[in-house]
Amino acid sequence: MSPQPQAAVGAPLSRVDGRLKVTGRAKYSAEHEVAGVVHAVMVDASIGRGRITSIDTSDAEAQRGVLAVIHHGNAPKLPYKDNKASNNPPGARLRVFQDDKVRFHGQPVAVVVATSLEVGQHAASLVKVRYDAEHPTTELSKGEPDKPTEYSRGDVDSGLRKADVRLDLTYRLARNHHNAMELHATIARWKGDKLTVWDKTQWVVGTQTELSTVFDVPLKSVRVISPFVGGGFGSGLRCWPHTVAAALAARVVKRPVKLVLTRKQQFFGTGFRPEYEYRLRLGADRRGRLTAMAHELEHETSSYETFTEGVLDPGRMLYSTSNVSQAYRTVPLDVNTPIWMRGPGPATASYVIESAVDELADRLGIDPIELRQRNEPDEDESSGLPWSTRRLRECYTVGAREFGWERRSAKPRARREGDWLIGMGMAAGVYHTARGAAEAHVRLAADGTAIVETAASDMGPGTYTSQTQVAADALGLTVRNVTVRIGDSLFPPTPPHGGSQTMASVGSAVLDGCDKVRRRAVELAIEDEDSPLHGVNAEDVVVRSGRLHVKGDPARGETYRQLLSRNDLGHLEADGSYAGAPGTERHSMHAYNATFAEVAVDATLGLVRVRRVLGVYDAGRIISPKLAESQAFGGMVGGIGQALLEHTATDHRDGRIANANLADYLVPVHADVPDLKAIYLDGEDREADPLGVKGLGEVVMVGVAPAIANAVFNATGRRVRQLPITAEALL
Amino acid sequence: MHPFTYTQANDAREAVGAGRRGGRYIAGGTTLVDLMRETVERPDTLVDISRLPLREFNVTKRGGLRIGALVTMSEAAAHSKVRSLFPVVSEALELSASAQLRNMATIGGNIMQRTRCTYFRDVTADCNKREPGSGCAARGGVNRAHAILGTSESCVATHPSDVAVAFAALDAQVHLLGPDGERTVPFLDLLLRPGNTPNREHALRHGELITAVELPALPRPLKSGYLKVRDRQSYEFALTSAAVALNVSGGVIREARVAAGGVGTVPWRLRAVERALAGERPSDRLWSEAAAGSAEGARPLKHNRFKVDLLRRTVERQLRTVGDMA
Repeated sequence: MSPQPQAAVGAPLSRVDGRLKVTGRAKYSAEHEVAGVVHAVMVDASIGRGRITSIDTSDAEAQRGVLAVIHHGNAPKLPYKDNKASNNPPGARLRVFQDDKVRFHGQPVAVVVATSLEVGQHAASLVKVRYDAEHPTTELSKGEPDKPTEYSRGDVDSGLRKADVRLDLTYRLARNHHNAMELHATIARWKGDKLTVWDKTQWVVGTQTELSTVFDVPLKSVRVISPFVGGGFGSGLRCWPHTVAAALAARVVKRPVKLVLTRKQQFFGTGFRPEYEYRLRLGADRRGRLTAMAHELEHETSSYETFTEGVLDPGRMLYSTSNVSQAYRTVPLDVNTPIWMRGPGPATASYVIESAVDELADRLGIDPIELRQRNEPDEDESSGLPWSTRRLRECYTVGAREFGWERRSAKPRARREGDWLIGMGMAAGVYHTARGAAEAHVRLAADGTAIVETAASDMGPGTYTSQTQVAADALGLTVRNVTVRIGDSLFPPTPPHGGSQTMASVGSAVLDGCDKVRRRAVELAIEDEDSPLHGVNAEDVVVRSGRLHVKGDPARGETYRQLLSRNDLGHLEADGSYAGAPGTERHSMHAYNATFAEVAVDATLGLVRVRRVLGVYDAGRIISPKLAESQAFGGMVGGIGQALLEHTATDHRDGRIANANLADYLVPVHADVPDLKAIYLDGEDREADPLGVKGLGEVVMVGVAPAIANAVFNATGRRVRQLPITAEALL
Repeated sequence: MHPFTYTQANDAREAVGAGRRGGRYIAGGTTLVDLMRETVERPDTLVDISRLPLREFNVTKRGGLRIGALVTMSEAAAHSKVRSLFPVVSEALELSASAQLRNMATIGGNIMQRTRCTYFRDVTADCNKREPGSGCAARGGVNRAHAILGTSESCVATHPSDVAVAFAALDAQVHLLGPDGERTVPFLDLLLRPGNTPNREHALRHGELITAVELPALPRPLKSGYLKVRDRQSYEFALTSAAVALNVSGGVIREARVAAGGVGTVPWRLRAVERALAGERPSDRLWSEAAAGSAEGARPLKHNRFKVDLLRRTVERQLRTVGDMA
């Protein structure tokens, strides 16, 4: 961390862009005003697999205002060059309107472009597509799994044999869709060979490289703009077919084109957290020490890309055990490609592991927290690396105290209030600390204000605010004199805004750039004979509220404004950078939590109502406490959804998603969100990154679902090894 | 959306005239506009009736209550007469939809709202209700939310309304105005079971307009209430629901009205349960025994088998809840 006083970092600031958002002036992707824009409406395949035999566009084209109906029969051939610098999974990406093949129900088969949205929508309903349909395979159990990714240490068979207690448990997790409030939308405009795209994305750089490779135009010819994102949860981590379709349509009609996916289209036009089947075998001795863990898991992917996520990490490092095996299979199905969704991997693995550990604790008659403490590893047993910081024990202790864990009865069904059975549960959560290479440009003007530019995104966690806080302290400015600009591929590049790496990566680059600018100003002052700071050691100068002064002697100094104007300088600027994680890590770095939940279950009707959730987090330094609290609450709400409500239902007869709307795909509403509390352990992780942060947007969701599931067991005595837990499982 | 013309009716006669010429009535529009966007509904003409003077709350001579068809759900739920005389109606309304929708949607429109069956609402799926003869995709599809009572080979879609369940229990009457004048039909006869013609959902004649719903006077004291069982705590249609009204005097149940929602192709009156209650003394055992027959005749599907048991439990719970008040 910088030698500068920390005034903004750690302060409970409200969002710097809050006023823009609540007054509607923050522009989301569909809202940008682009002169001459026309509207595109997608036509989706109504079969789950097969070929298009004919497309009749005559009725659609006869509508006044229709400019074009583009489909595989008339679309320009697109180069689709390889894109190695992308989040595209291995395989061949879906090429829009390039062939007659239907790979999943809802695949884009045509796009109508019209002068108004209403005409476009009506014309899209008049496009007649005929198919040669085949029976799709969309059921996880019916697919042919790929070869497994395997891991093992020790001897699992002997570990299981030696165990006093063995558990063999299979869990099923439903497919989940992100369903952020903002719909995915793209506006595309060509000027000659130059393409500008306003897009809902968590990675402007990623969308830029993808469009550059799809259309085979130079990277510099593509500009992607995305200043505000209305929620993402991962759905904006790659460039989807509709963005290509919008750019393609704009090229065909030679006008700017806007394409907004409907809520329904988002269910197959973007990705999802895949459905899982996960078998876990556990062995333990009588004192609860784990002797072996064997993980066998599989999830769906598309027929054309092999999506994977970091689901194996917790199984290797969360608990101490010498014998671990893992076999991880993807199952290609006639579905579109999944994508990371909040807490990707660990949110799935922790549900399984933490439910099983709870079951083990119950079997052995050991308190679940005590059992976890007994299996706390001294180092990362998968790599042999020491922890950078791991304060899970403190999370347990603080959480147990704050939640009133001692009031929990070890025996299920022990507490009843009228028709309701009351139970408590807890779980541990973990998410690795990711960092990526990032850059930022910092410019300090002679009037003592600064502008920071970086291609980062803000899907909701508060990038604008937290980067402002970092920059303000490093430059020695007040928060209101710093402006952060993000969401434009013209700005210096950043990693994807996902995996909880933005603060660590972008923040470190911003810190670096601001430190450089401040140091330049300090050097200028100490070498300037007319400066009161002339001859002072650079290390002895600090900057506060735009004024440089001697540490311990605030009277001796001058402002940036005085210094720059006396030296005839309009501004000082610097490029900041952060290299990202080193090729070889010297420490194992993760953020942790202990999550506690209290639920009420209607003993007769089987309804589960969450009453309280508490999360205690070891996430390193907290830059922005108010935003961190919001993040935690959001993670808990997501966890309640994963545990009790969210379930994408596919009709396996034709691959149709049968609940592709927000009336049938249930997310928590206010009434489902109870008393939430978040506690962040004070501290920092000096090994992780210059800011000492470990990332928190992902880890806050990990552990919530198992805490709720364990509370349901404590309330009812029923183990439901399936998410979401719905009434029928508890009747 | 299919192109349409829009007209606004200034009085009931004008509205009915436009209705007779094939116009579709629209008031709050909370169900029709959605369905038009999905092209499930493709009316050529919309007749906006929201200006008509159909907003009455009148106590009838015998002590019943007439609620105008254009009274919004939120107005009806909040009205002091509804709350004091028929709490089951207030509760059913307040447990429906969201506050925003309740402020727009009307009582007449609520009765006439169409099913939430996702196959009905997806024009690429087979649906006999939307396209007679095309088949029923829901029977062999994703059908957790579907009906177990009153179904046919042609259709298994539920009627989604909550307040309609209360109306069914209370034997509401529906006042209509049509090209041939006024008439009144029992609410229970208004909505039709699917049979072989699931596209025919109601007994309204061509051009007929609902003007009011009348809740008849019932023996007092009358205790009533509505229980809605659903996955999330707000803004979801019922998995199961129960409307119960009981008149108990001298320690004996003189009259019992029980209907169920979320389970039937129409709001489902539970006559067998009512018979088991009439003349008996309230007790937990009675609630349990009476509720046992709730799902009589149920024909569950692959994903909604649990509703058979859940319905029984829902009815038993609500009998006890209302019975403890009576």
